[in-house]
Amino acid sequence: MSAVALPRQSSVQRGLVDAYNATRRYLIRGKRQPDIIFGSVLFPVIFVVLFGYVFGSSISVPGGNYHSYLMSGLFAQSTLFASSQVAVAVATDMNEGVIDRFKTLPIARSSILIGRSVSTIVLGLPALGVMILCALAVGWRPENGIFDAILGFLLIELFAFALSWLGILAGLIAKSSQAADVISSIPVFLLGFVSNVFVDTSKMPVWLRDFADWNPVSAVVAAGRNLFGNTIGPPPSGVWSLEHPEITTIGLALIIIVVFIPICVRRYSRTSR
Amino acid sequence: MTDFAISAQHLARSFGETRALVDVSLDIPAGSVCALLGRNGAGKTTTVRILTTLLDPDGGHAQVAGFDIASQADRVRERIGVTGQTATMDELLTGHENLEIIGRFSHLGAAVSRQRADELLEQFDLVDAGTMLVKKYSGGMRRRLDLAASLIANPEVLFLDEPTTGLDPVARSEMWAAIRNLVARGTTVLLTTQYLDEADQLADTIVVVDRGLVVAEGTPEQLKASIGRPSVVVTLVDADQAALEKVRAALGTDAVIRGRSVSAPAADGLETLAAVVTRLEELGVPVHEVGLEHPSLDEVFSTVTHRLGDHSPDAPAAVPA
Repeated sequence: MSAVALPRQSSVQRGLVDAYNATRRYLIRGKRQPDIIFGSVLFPVIFVVLFGYVFGSSISVPGGNYHSYLMSGLFAQSTLFASSQVAVAVATDMNEGVIDRFKTLPIARSSILIGRSVSTIVLGLPALGVMILCALAVGWRPENGIFDAILGFLLIELFAFALSWLGILAGLIAKSSQAADVISSIPVFLLGFVSNVFVDTSKMPVWLRDFADWNPVSAVVAAGRNLFGNTIGPPPSGVWSLEHPEITTIGLALIIIVVFIPICVRRYSRTSR
Repeated sequence: MTDFAISAQHLARSFGETRALVDVSLDIPAGSVCALLGRNGAGKTTTVRILTTLLDPDGGHAQVAGFDIASQADRVRERIGVTGQTATMDELLTGHENLEIIGRFSHLGAAVSRQRADELLEQFDLVDAGTMLVKKYSGGMRRRLDLAASLIANPEVLFLDEPTTGLDPVARSEMWAAIRNLVARGTTVLLTTQYLDEADQLADTIVVVDRGLVVAEGTPEQLKASIGRPSVVVTLVDADQAALEKVRAALGTDAVIRGRSVSAPAADGLETLAAVVTRLEELGVPVHEVGLEHPSLDEVFSTVTHRLGDHSPDAPAAVPA
């Protein structure tokens, strides 16, 4: 019996087809788990209400509206939570027999991970949409116009894509999904809260302020605020990453992508487990 | 191309201190069925994982479908089908979607993948279940779908890791029928099993592994013959001690009494049987049944694995009862 004739394609073409098929698989799976999508949509709504009204009533930002100030922070923070979820999902995947089967198929080693990463972005879009609607409802406005706003969201999504690879690595290293949750939650909370997401860093103690100012998440938030036209006051002097937040965000995302995709793929295809 | 669909030389693999595989060599001719028989932890799954490119060996090398598992892994992957011990189907996808995705990953293209999925669902009696999510499948249905998935790209070599473990007798015989069907089409199959009857039923050759070593190999008949000759068994109408003693004396010094039967080695097979029948007629003892018994694979298995386990080559070989 002869094998089914395989159409001859270049390895790059094949790799793209494999990645597309893997993404498609994760999207079908995502569609079958409406509870997860529902949760991911509900979460940001709660955040907007919780932080916007509960904290917002006692936090004031000089010369501005706290809701407008807060939204860029919440958009950026949601990418952190998403990367933590990716870590848990990848760890769960790796303990399932189906990944073993995929490894015995003639597909590009990167395809399953690319599928996971891209589908995370796509499945996160409804949540982003709802979050934008909430933001508009509480008074946030993209003051610099629609074009800059779109640019701002593209930047945040680029960062989300890069972060998802850190989540994937955490998931590949972790022995179980519980472990992945712990491993990924610690940096997510540190980076997500010790930052300019909720408050102006200038009133923090010096050591904490330095961390918060140089925290890459702060740069992403600042880039969002610049592009949405929600920036209040000048950036802290001497902090390059906050003085040039857009370049910092793009550069950092590209560095993570270039460095961590190969690391993740190697870790995934390491056969000696 | 070699004549062997699977050829492995001195495969070895350790996990930390545990030596899962010490030295396993295999030569499996194209179009035949080989059963890797052994207890849990004998090294069966490790062997399959190495041959299916899931695991690198520490030592030795192997070719599958004519390609080296280490340097030509993708060529190997294009030519094999694998059904693992654990369910390898996606619970959140339907049976049809599962098959289609495997077809797409085998680069058959979307249209051909869907067509193959339809064919295989029909072949494995899963047409009605095709649109059902796999999480609603029974154990037997999952295994059949798993087997169907490994056939999507018409593999030259099929690996079945404990294909019937945990199945009820009905599902098991359905699985056997499906495997026989494949073999009839000329696919080379390497299956692992803990069940002797499964190996006996399905395999052309059996390789017995124990503690990471090949301890016996051959056809089921060769293995049975290797540990002993058949014995002649005389069963009397009732357990009359006097009559039993009489028969035992007639059958020679090696004869033993078990319940209402007497058994003795039948060195010359049917000739011995004929001679015994003549002697019994002379004795005039009421006989219920006389016959030849061959050693079972169970005995082969316990003999070869115990010998090794006890580290005493002189341990008594199972006496054919």
